[in-house]
Amino acid sequence: MADLTRRGLLAVGALALLAGCGKDQPRQQAADGRPHGEVTVWLHGSQDTGQQFQELVHRYIAEFKVDVKLLYLPVGQLDAKLLTAFSGGAPPDVFKIGHWSFPAHAKKKRLAPVDTKALSLQDYEPGTTTPLTYQDVPYGVPIDFNPCMLYYRKDRFEEAGLDPDKPPATWEEVAEYSAKLTSKDRRRVGLQWLYGDPQWALMMLTALIQGKGGELVAADGAKASLATEQGRGALAYMSGIGNPKLSNPLGALGLFYSGEAAMVVSGAFLGPALEKLGKDTLTFGKQYGVAPMPTWAGGPPVVPAYTWGWGVAKDSPNQFTAWHLVNYLQGAPSVAANLDNGIIIPTRGWRDAGPRGTSEIMKIVADSLPHVDFGPIIPGTLELAKAAASAVDSVAYGKSTPAQAAATFDSAVRLVL
Amino acid sequence: MSVLGRVRARPQATAGVALTLPVAVFFVVFWLVPFLAAIYLSFTDYEMAGTPNWIGFANYERMFADPGFLNSAWITVVYTVCTVVPTIVLALLVAVPLSRPGRLNRRLRALVMIPAVMPLAATSMVWVIIYSDRGLANTLLGLVGIDPQSWLTSSDLAIWALVVMVVWKSMGLFVIILTAGLQALPGEVYEAAAIDGSGAVTTFTRITLPLLRRTLLFVLVISVAGSMQAFVPAFLLTGGGPADATQVLPYYIWANAFPYEHMGYAAAMGMVLLAAMVIVSALQFGFLKGGDE
Amino acid sequence: MRAGTILRTVWLIAAVGFMLLPVYAMLVVASAPDDTDLRGLVFNGFHLPENIGLLFGEGNLPTYLRNSLILCVGTGVLDVIFSAAAGYAMAQLSFPGRRVLFALVIGTLALTPMVLVIPVFLIVKELGWVNTFQGMMVPGMISAFGVFLVRQFALGIPKELLLAARVDGAGEFRIFARIAVPLLKPALITLFLVHFLAQWDNLLWPLIVANEQELWPLPVGLANFQSEVGFNYHLTTTAALVTAVPPFILMVALQRYYVAGLTFGGLKR
Repeated sequence: MADLTRRGLLAVGALALLAGCGKDQPRQQAADGRPHGEVTVWLHGSQDTGQQFQELVHRYIAEFKVDVKLLYLPVGQLDAKLLTAFSGGAPPDVFKIGHWSFPAHAKKKRLAPVDTKALSLQDYEPGTTTPLTYQDVPYGVPIDFNPCMLYYRKDRFEEAGLDPDKPPATWEEVAEYSAKLTSKDRRRVGLQWLYGDPQWALMMLTALIQGKGGELVAADGAKASLATEQGRGALAYMSGIGNPKLSNPLGALGLFYSGEAAMVVSGAFLGPALEKLGKDTLTFGKQYGVAPMPTWAGGPPVVPAYTWGWGVAKDSPNQFTAWHLVNYLQGAPSVAANLDNGIIIPTRGWRDAGPRGTSEIMKIVADSLPHVDFGPIIPGTLELAKAAASAVDSVAYGKSTPAQAAATFDSAVRLVL
Repeated sequence: MSVLGRVRARPQATAGVALTLPVAVFFVVFWLVPFLAAIYLSFTDYEMAGTPNWIGFANYERMFADPGFLNSAWITVVYTVCTVVPTIVLALLVAVPLSRPGRLNRRLRALVMIPAVMPLAATSMVWVIIYSDRGLANTLLGLVGIDPQSWLTSSDLAIWALVVMVVWKSMGLFVIILTAGLQALPGEVYEAAAIDGSGAVTTFTRITLPLLRRTLLFVLVISVAGSMQAFVPAFLLTGGGPADATQVLPYYIWANAFPYEHMGYAAAMGMVLLAAMVIVSALQFGFLKGGDE
Repeated sequence: MRAGTILRTVWLIAAVGFMLLPVYAMLVVASAPDDTDLRGLVFNGFHLPENIGLLFGEGNLPTYLRNSLILCVGTGVLDVIFSAAAGYAMAQLSFPGRRVLFALVIGTLALTPMVLVIPVFLIVKELGWVNTFQGMMVPGMISAFGVFLVRQFALGIPKELLLAARVDGAGEFRIFARIAVPLLKPALITLFLVHFLAQWDNLLWPLIVANEQELWPLPVGLANFQSEVGFNYHLTTTAALVTAVPPFILMVALQRYYVAGLTFGGLKR
């Protein structure tokens, strides 16, 4: 019966069009060992490193006689465009996407494995390519690698009678300090979470749950639950701190800049970004400082992290050149220029690439490397993260209790995993 | 006559087919075929890769177990009712006095159109600022002594913030349509009512509203259809947040397609939305027919 | 009686004033030198030209503006031509398939476009139109609204007029071009304006089809500008103002026809 209906529709021609996209056409790869031809690259724009990046690409074009076509896309719409292009069989050769997108693309066989003839994975810090690896096959290399750390406002600490040189080291202290730092009307708060941000909600829950010995996602990735003691505890903990109603065009990071938030968990990029926002008003060491990611008292360190990554399409007719270009774009000049903007390309020795490598922020990054946790590396990550954000937000807004939110989360992810 | 009629019919048929052919081809290629494909997809597990597998009604069943869908469906109902009703009531309240002749009214009619022609993207940008902490909304509240509110970051207020923007945006258009409808009403009826000594309110409810029924229906149909399909306001103003409070169904459908890739599921939800719209439209037209006797 | 008139006038001016307040606020914030005052009530200097200069300094804005105009005017004209032909034929000519076609066109009014994105993209790709102007333009070229609007309007053309022309021996195409089109003018101008406004706002489809910045229309360019430099209230508002100008000009120029064309559908059946 089902088959009959299918055939009926086939006659209309609808299926014929769809079938075209499902076909796996093995592409003839050009002879390896020499970059050539044309490579298209899709990425989102960045004001900080855009100039340097374009110069690098021009040098590559001149040196290797490869035609490189760059397309900068709005970060909010890159996913929709890339997915349409993939399902239409017309993807770019190279693209820059978040590590959370790699497993789904890899599972759907859209990605070309890293060509080790063009690029050596040995160059990267151990563990930093893990989130770009799916079922033991490496599909990408990291750029803009960010382990979490705690930023805190020394001026706000001083105001509240706290020692500006003693940032909280445990989640218990974070809660205690936040209570002291929060004003009566809650317009000024201690730690402010990044409400509404799926990836980020997933990272925080990972830290809070695993730090207590719990498990958000089962090791095999087939099951996820917040309806555990640690899960409900994490939701309750998060809802007790911060104020979701505070608004700023730059979100929680903007609130930290304005001083309304005294603490925020963020990545290595934030320090240099704050410098650019206001050189005169906010100086590292004076008005604000950084501390390693807090742990539960007596608990193990868990440092959630994310990274962007370069990937290459399986449908690309020019995979060797694509990886060759990526390798070039990740080379020493890039590492140095990016580090200068607080953006980490975690190849070995990255800290020696520039003066910023010795900064306190980068020291925290280096120290946290052994404890870095990229969260679940599974195809359903995007929705898992969205469900996590919904749970965190609904409790924070007082729309549901931790137990209710945990139950909703569980029933939502059951459909996904 | 019949012979003449037949002679006439041939060139008419030829011309009719020739004049409609481009449109027919266009709608078949860019609407009918994709639509049939979407119906087919709604019965498959298509995840934007590989071959779609037939899974029967699983996508449709999934909706009832999906808190995201149920939440979005409810928000769409609230959003539709709360944008359509105030828009039409307010538009009527402005249109009735505005439909009277006079130079001032003519000027005002031109000005009323301005919000309607603002691009939606520009509108959203402006309202983000109006709703910001130190923006116009809070400034006006301050004048009457109310504390500043977090319009777009409060899960209770965000949907109403969205509704106010949409009412503002669509009101001008409806004012113009209703004004024209009012101006076309026969004047004698009013004179008769005036002789009767009917009050303004009685005249309005007993005479104006019934006569205006067809225009009102037109306004109702386009505004309900527009609200049920509204995607851009939530997309640009709130991103469906905070805490999913503004995640209207079209937005949820979009999110399931991009980036979650549940194309089959998204297509199924699209079909449900389509069915809902057809039912609502049918009810509205039935209402008109019933009123026509 | 006089008190009633005064009350009415006060209410109308207040209501219209309230509707225009956000537009005024937009102008104020777009002219601000920075983000310090966002109330949008008092001008803090007039920096609009500088702000526009900053936006245009980005380099690609003239290209985006040109592309948007090509896109909107091009598809607008085509929509007017095809919808005029089809709408008139559906209203006044009897030909096989008329009812089916009408149902097909009206049915699409209730379709949610987002579930059609992938199938339409596949069709555009089969046609070889990815990354072309055709690819951006054609799928949104004809709107059901347009065909419907013209049909409703064309129903009002007196049958006797057409019959008289036929008796005079005029061909059907000649009758369409010489008699129907001039009578349909308000509807066609309305259609052009509505189409222009809708296309002017179109962000997602051009973004999905165009793979070169050279082809981008204004909304895509502005979205990218924002994601590159971050959110900045006053410059974002300036951008909003810039995108609102062409529709405003068009509206002012065509307003009389616009109102005539728009209201007709509500009055006639």
